[in-house]
Amino acid sequence: MNRFARLLIPLLIILLVLAGCNSTAVEQEASSGGLTQLRLPMGYIPDPQYAPLYVAVDKGYFAEEGLALEFDYSFETDGMALVGANEVPFALVGGDQVILARAQDLPVVYILEWFQKYPIAIVSRQAAGIETPQDLIGRSVGLPGFFGTSYVGYVGLLSANNMTEDQVEAKDIGFTQIENLLSDQVDAVVVFANNEPIQLENMGEAINNLQVADYIDLVHNGVVTNEETIANNPQLVEGFTRAFLRGLKDTIANPDEAYEISKKYVEGLDNSRRDVLDSSIEFWRADTLGLTDGQSWKRTEDLLIEMGLLDHPVADLEKAYTNDFVLKVQP
Amino acid sequence: MKNIKRFLDAQPTWLTVLASLIVLLIAWQLLVILGDYPAFILPGPADVWRQFQIVLADGRLVRHSLITISEIIPGLLIGLFIAVPLGYMLAKSPLAERLLSPYLIASQAIPVIAIAPLLTIWISSTYWSRVTVAVLVVFFPILINSITGIRSVPPEMYELMASLHATRGQVFSKMELPAAMPMLLTGLKVGATLAVIGTLVGEFVQPRSEGLGYLLVTARYQFKTDLVFVVLIALGAIALSLYGLVSLLERRLLRWQLRDGKSASALQREKVVVISQGSSESIKYVEKEI
Repeated sequence: MNRFARLLIPLLIILLVLAGCNSTAVEQEASSGGLTQLRLPMGYIPDPQYAPLYVAVDKGYFAEEGLALEFDYSFETDGMALVGANEVPFALVGGDQVILARAQDLPVVYILEWFQKYPIAIVSRQAAGIETPQDLIGRSVGLPGFFGTSYVGYVGLLSANNMTEDQVEAKDIGFTQIENLLSDQVDAVVVFANNEPIQLENMGEAINNLQVADYIDLVHNGVVTNEETIANNPQLVEGFTRAFLRGLKDTIANPDEAYEISKKYVEGLDNSRRDVLDSSIEFWRADTLGLTDGQSWKRTEDLLIEMGLLDHPVADLEKAYTNDFVLKVQP
Repeated sequence: MKNIKRFLDAQPTWLTVLASLIVLLIAWQLLVILGDYPAFILPGPADVWRQFQIVLADGRLVRHSLITISEIIPGLLIGLFIAVPLGYMLAKSPLAERLLSPYLIASQAIPVIAIAPLLTIWISSTYWSRVTVAVLVVFFPILINSITGIRSVPPEMYELMASLHATRGQVFSKMELPAAMPMLLTGLKVGATLAVIGTLVGEFVQPRSEGLGYLLVTARYQFKTDLVFVVLIALGAIALSLYGLVSLLERRLLRWQLRDGKSASALQREKVVVISQGSSESIKYVEKEI
């Protein structure tokens, strides 16, 4: 055995032992508290927009349901694929994604509509004079790309106003909307309505804000699970939904407290994103929290077909979502 | 086992490549069947073939591939034209090496994906910012190979060229460049495959509605895993083609390299000894031999 191999083998053994210790620790943690450990794909970085979950964990709502949550801030599509493959029971995803996933035979089911309004907006500087969707005709609009939630919202707004994509000069600019807008590279940008407009206003910029939700009702972010979990473990789905809704209700009722709790979960969070939480709450409010509407699913599906992202309607669209759990556990 | 090896060794290359491809496809299909994977997790070869035919027929595959190739080639060439002169300078000047190499080495610890979004802002053209990502990725391996290649020239060769009153230009073009060529081409081979990855990173981070990176992102968004595989195979084919082109170039430029199974440097050393012993040889003879 040469010297390299003699060094390498003990090193590999140490790494394997350490890896073993780590997984044992996680299992012990889960079993010692008698809680079921759940990994929840979030789809975005740690942010006060997730305050309902932070509140629910912090106040022990998930623990009361026998659940210990581990926040996984991976990309949205990863969460959907993991749920579809039954690798994880829940993920936070967009409604458009659920329809596209069902079209590819992913057995996913949307159980809770967290964002009641589609949070995409088209923002421009006031000087550009873009006050209605029709004012966009002949103007340049910057998009993060010709795919995803922003693009769906943008086309949805045009479609709802009987406009076509040819009438507007759309440019893909990546996630540099604020920089492009402020340097006048484009006349308007497609952004998340609860984020960039707040940042621009905080910078002292006078803006016009066309909210997609004012023109069209599309399904947006919520909680997805899969058919197997619903069939075999409905108590888990009920428990998760109940804890989430309790966190959501508390956050809407007391944003100050929710923001303070968020600071424990978002490293380095100061008060600069407080407005983002207030803005987000306006998208969550509903008479019945978490309830989803079949009409908005149909509208979203029609739009995806119009955009060419779907070839034909999804078989059994009503199987893509359910209100059963939300209605049963409403706090 | 030895019999199989002997049999395969006796076959032409195209046949062994075909055999390995068939084995790969069978193993892939078996994995899908035995693992009982749904198509959105692991599509079978037939699913991918079907999707390949669709995107080939509607022109999407060719269109997006051409866009990606149009970014890879400039990325590779610009990287080459920056890395080779810089590599020569660093190989020849210890002061330049001391001044620059810490920054060059440290720069390799910076993930390109972290600065790629900023490039879109710094360089207003999305096309050129994608090319720049490819340049950044291919630059370092070509640089390192250039330095190693230039430094691999035996000192006796310099002494010989000096004794023959060779000019600086002659030393470079007749001795250093040919001697460094094997390493340079190795760097170019590595760079060619890395340029594909670099361009794809650029296309991921700086989305335009074109390029294989865009097709990959939209395929993932639509959960079309078979289309993801088609794109990955197309990228592999582009990388293989580039590698093959550099190999052809290598064969043409390094025809002198292998004679009687001897390496270039061994041959050069031999010639130095021979030429030094016969002191009346002219510089022309040296050029011819090298």
